[in-house]
Amino acid sequence: MILVTGGTGFLGAPLVRKLVELGHYNIRCLVRPGTSADILRPILEGLPSAEVEIFPASFNDRAALKAAFHGVEIVYHAAASKSGSFPSMVANTVVGSENIYRACVEARVSRCVLVSSFGVIGVATLPKGAWVNEKVPMEAHPERRDPYSFSKHRQETLAWEYAKREGLPLVVVRPGVIFGPGGTVMTPRIGMKVFGVFLHLGGRNQIPLTYVENCAEAIALAGTVPGIVGEIFCIVDDDLPVSRYLLKRYDREVTPSPIVRIPYPLLKVLSKCNVWYTNRTKGHLPVVFSPYDLGSIWKGHRFSNKKAKEQLGWRPKVSMSDALKITFASLARAEKQKTAN
Amino acid sequence: MKVAIVGCGQIADAHIQECRKIPGLDVAAVCDSSIHMAEQAALRFGICKSYTNLETMLKEVRPDVVHVTTPPASHLPIGKIALEHGSHVYVEKPLTVNVAEAEELIEVAVRKGKLVCVGHSNVFDGAFLRIKKLYEQGRLGRIFHVDALMGYDLGGTFGSVSMGDPTHWVHHLPGGLPQNNISHPLSLILEFLKDERPDIHAQGFRWRKERYGDQRDIFFDELRVLMTGKEVTASLLFSCRALPVQLLVVAHGTKGQAIANLDARTLRVVEGASLPGPFRKVEFAYRDAIQAMGEFRRHIGSLLSARLHFFEGMNELFRLFYLAIQGKGEMPIPMSEAHRTTAIMDGIFHQCQENDRERYEVTMSV
Repeated sequence: MILVTGGTGFLGAPLVRKLVELGHYNIRCLVRPGTSADILRPILEGLPSAEVEIFPASFNDRAALKAAFHGVEIVYHAAASKSGSFPSMVANTVVGSENIYRACVEARVSRCVLVSSFGVIGVATLPKGAWVNEKVPMEAHPERRDPYSFSKHRQETLAWEYAKREGLPLVVVRPGVIFGPGGTVMTPRIGMKVFGVFLHLGGRNQIPLTYVENCAEAIALAGTVPGIVGEIFCIVDDDLPVSRYLLKRYDREVTPSPIVRIPYPLLKVLSKCNVWYTNRTKGHLPVVFSPYDLGSIWKGHRFSNKKAKEQLGWRPKVSMSDALKITFASLARAEKQKTAN
Repeated sequence: MKVAIVGCGQIADAHIQECRKIPGLDVAAVCDSSIHMAEQAALRFGICKSYTNLETMLKEVRPDVVHVTTPPASHLPIGKIALEHGSHVYVEKPLTVNVAEAEELIEVAVRKGKLVCVGHSNVFDGAFLRIKKLYEQGRLGRIFHVDALMGYDLGGTFGSVSMGDPTHWVHHLPGGLPQNNISHPLSLILEFLKDERPDIHAQGFRWRKERYGDQRDIFFDELRVLMTGKEVTASLLFSCRALPVQLLVVAHGTKGQAIANLDARTLRVVEGASLPGPFRKVEFAYRDAIQAMGEFRRHIGSLLSARLHFFEGMNELFRLFYLAIQGKGEMPIPMSEAHRTTAIMDGIFHQCQENDRERYEVTMSV
């Protein structure tokens, strides 16, 4: 039996699909109480009959988790908050995860695959152009990062604690920016919209994209490939595009907006001003980009998927050009719909 | 003065930030039953001490003031322990789950010679303070009626969290989600309606579709309350349909009306016109335009001088509470007022449940 948390989400749904495609027919999706069983129908459409069941349980309900984990051998923990304040993301992502880890240990599962994030990697001190891979240590100052990276850092740190202390058979997968239809490709690594103007902060930086279906396959393999307990895998696709290319395509194919390109040296000055103003005015405006964020997100690094290819035998099946074509078409349709409404 | 924060959820961030803006206050420790929550607050704000055990924290840190920012059901037990250990207590709204608990908390505070302040921070928001000033200057005459509207977004930051979890503490309050929120508009109303026990007519509504089959389908998403005092009446509307989220207050006086939007921080005063016939309409519109321009200029000035802080009312309430602790001022929200508000809230939810008896019995059995 395989148990998937977050199995109806943007990444979790393709993961469930991929598991069925790979021949795993006994899957249990742990979902929030009140979630309808119908939610699986579109996910499994066109696939051979598989026993995929919905198991509604709150992560905070330990008795329900015990029942959910009965007979489970492999766990994919893909559920996490995507947005919110620091406390709410920690409450949802970290506090809930501890109960999942504990349930894994109690149920003596043979493997727990944690879907972590690139946000946990300590890249701020790496030089421009350095490779980001599994060898780079975890972030030393997660509190200086955004709420998502902070909560994912604590979630993964806790998982390693459980692995060390309780023998949790852990495999960690750290995807880059997951994109695909229903999601977006316009990550903050490219820039952000402020008062209707798009501030292009990414310059010519490589963007660590991974197409949702490719990423789902890598995660599925991380649960089944033998002999990899205790390993970490960074997941990005091949032929990673640069920020400027993505922005140009978005502008042309989805929706145009005024773009102001901000070079890295100017960004450094602006971030210092931002921090100075916030401190001086006791938080009148938030810190949008701190010098630390700059080093982590916009300095310009390179991203490796070598280990995933070597040890998982994974290859991104959907090419980057096809994945971008599908995603931009989906974004254009959504934009058209929004305009029509 | 040493401050300790108990409960490290979302609102605790605001407490830490606002305390730090007040000279002489030192947030010395944070405490939460979850070590993850306590540690995240300590790490992010550089607070040296974090605890998961309240009594240990109180013994080791000996805080002058404890801010209780936990779910309402724990306000009484935590508040009592903090008072027994010799700390003053600031409690987030609502003070307690019911008036019996409020009485118990206040009794301990009186016995220990300590102060308890409830977080009715909207009373100290700029726009509302301006209404009170107009009233004190006599420009509104005698206030005979107050309307208050609070909108709430179930898809918002807090709303989506509580709607995503049937075990969320908000669903276990006797008055559900409204109980966690209506102290905001109610505290504003009660600044004018001074009766100890006004007559209350309250009705709760559920306008959303039932879709979960659990506690999330039970609470009222709209509350309409009419309160009648000896000299002042009031109406309160809490609605999850009223978007964008706003907190509006209209004070109706015998000489004029004041309309404050506490979210936009704007104020409009309606006074008698001097021109005759159709010219009056023009005069009213002209006055509205002039006032709107004045508010616009005021906001631009506040923006440029960095005075548009989100929690301005909370900051002012903290400042006044800490002055009261030092004996340099009156209690900004007297304990008797916190008690009165809780009693009136009890009355409101009792009425709503009486008017919804059949469904209420189902709720209790879930």
